[in-house]
Amino acid sequence: MNSAQSAGAPATDRWSVLICEDEAPLRELVRVSLGGDDYEFAEAGDGVRAAQLARQLLPDLIVLDLMLPLRSGLDVLEEIRGDARFANTRIVVITASSNKEEEVLAAGADRFIRKPFEPSEFRLAIEELLAS
Amino acid sequence: MSAAADASGSPVRAQDQVARPDPTSPPAPVAAGRERKGSTSLGTRMIVASSILAFVVAAVFAGFLVSTIELRHSTSRANHSKDVSIAALKLEALVGDMETGLRGFVLTGNPRFLQPLTAAQKELPARSAALLRLTQDEPLQLKRAETLRYEIHSYMNDFVVPMVQLVRLGDRGAAQSPVATSEDRARTLQIRTGFDRFLRVDSRKVASSVSSASNTADVAIAVGAAGLAATTLLVLAFGLFLARSIARPVREVADGAQRLAAGDLSLRLKGGGPGEVGELTRAFNSMAESIQRQQAELERQNEQLRESERVKSELVSIVSHEVRTPLASVLGFTSLMLQHDFDEEARRRYLGIIDSQARRLAQLVEDFLDARRLEEGKLELRREPVDLGTLLREEVELFRGQSAGHELLLDVQEDDHMVLGDSGRLAQVVANLLSNAIKYSPEGGSVEVSISRDDGWISVLVRDHGFGIPKEQHAQVFTKFFRGEAASHGISGTGLGLVLSREIVEAHGGEMGFESAAGAGAVFWFRLRHA
Repeated sequence: MNSAQSAGAPATDRWSVLICEDEAPLRELVRVSLGGDDYEFAEAGDGVRAAQLARQLLPDLIVLDLMLPLRSGLDVLEEIRGDARFANTRIVVITASSNKEEEVLAAGADRFIRKPFEPSEFRLAIEELLAS
Repeated sequence: MSAAADASGSPVRAQDQVARPDPTSPPAPVAAGRERKGSTSLGTRMIVASSILAFVVAAVFAGFLVSTIELRHSTSRANHSKDVSIAALKLEALVGDMETGLRGFVLTGNPRFLQPLTAAQKELPARSAALLRLTQDEPLQLKRAETLRYEIHSYMNDFVVPMVQLVRLGDRGAAQSPVATSEDRARTLQIRTGFDRFLRVDSRKVASSVSSASNTADVAIAVGAAGLAATTLLVLAFGLFLARSIARPVREVADGAQRLAAGDLSLRLKGGGPGEVGELTRAFNSMAESIQRQQAELERQNEQLRESERVKSELVSIVSHEVRTPLASVLGFTSLMLQHDFDEEARRRYLGIIDSQARRLAQLVEDFLDARRLEEGKLELRREPVDLGTLLREEVELFRGQSAGHELLLDVQEDDHMVLGDSGRLAQVVANLLSNAIKYSPEGGSVEVSISRDDGWISVLVRDHGFGIPKEQHAQVFTKFFRGEAASHGISGTGLGLVLSREIVEAHGGEMGFESAAGAGAVFWFRLRHA
């Protein structure tokens, strides 16, 4: 399976992050960019699995690709933003599409990050978002 | 109906169709040509109509002229007859003068009475000659006139002159004798009777001539009136003909042109009209048809342009997406490695990712270049023996690790699967089919791959249990950049793989095809000649 919940008991001092991305190298890039110290990761390789894990984990942050198999990222985004349990969940959309920013922000995403992205800038943006 | 009746019936119907073309559909150029030959030209009709009119007018005038000339002849004949009567009466008056002069002289012996006699005697030759001259065209009257002249001259010479001599010689008694008197009366009576007959005949001639002149005048009036009426009717008919067969159709064409200009391109005028007018109508319809066709063609081209714009914009977004995704890994991991010190294992792993993603980019560029080479017919193939079975095994092994959710089942019987071809290109074809089978069945499942030899062909078959392809999209599957519903399913790709694959297979002299239905997965196959 393309998804795996991080092992061990949840630690309150670490942010829980759900990475929804069908390209395995990019899931790894997000993980490595953020580093292992402050985050614990879960991963989903398609839209159905993404929504399922999100409901299950109620993560602090969801990194969401738009072009996902089985169910589009936008669809997943709309479901999550329609669910009150995710009131405190930050959502960052990463996509290779160039013209979806307005739509994505209107649908409730907190950040829109275009691929390719600079890992250090990506990390800063996430830290800033989680601190706010 | 018998076959013979059918056979004889159809040509008649065909002819009808040519003679009376459907007004809603424009006549074919050939049919128009035939019709032009069949229909008398407007010029000819005008010439014929004008000629008829001119002929009628000329005939009326000729008739009128003939009648007038005839009237003049009749009048002239009547006048001539009057002249003859006057000449006869004058001659008769001379006879009277002669008779009166003679009687007076005989009774009185007074030479004074001889004066009218002498005068009459002098005028007699001229007057009788005048009467003869006037009657010389009428033999019977001429004969009567000659008889009269003879009788008058005889009266003068044989009676009057001897009587005057007798009286001069003094023998008035003999001259007054009952014999002489009776002779005188008998001769003058005979002359008068002759004149009466002459004048009666002449008077009849005058009456006849006057009556003939009157008749001729009546005829002339009748001919003139009838001619005038006929000419008026003909001019009216000619005007009506001009209005109906020229002015009205021309007006209709003018109105039609205005409506056409206003955008009513489906407008067609009713056919017909003589010669050039009919041609004008047909030309108008043909023009309208042509404009409508061109309009439709322009709209079709516009639609194609819009479609082509849409495809182009889609292509740009496909390309940017397909480039950005591997580029994100290449740039991201490169940047991380430049900024951090990773252990050897991590470095090797990240370099592996960078390598594979960079190759993916290179392959993308290669696919586009291949597409262009195909368009330019410059796809070059090596010709070497290739074991398709082995090639299939290697490709399946490469793909086996790509998706945890898929089970790749390979069925290769021990057999000779040699073909002649370019192993790199054939591997590209197999890789493409396997990649598609995995991509288009994102929920996982089995992908069945088999190879078989039959009747000189080596066939490769790849079956998946994914989305399948709806029937209405079958025709577009081998079209460049066509990706069906892939984007909406979050499936990446350029829409070039199948196009390139089929071109490669066909360049090897093989065939490629597929069977699929929406929701029922797909079977893609290709076959090549056994070497």
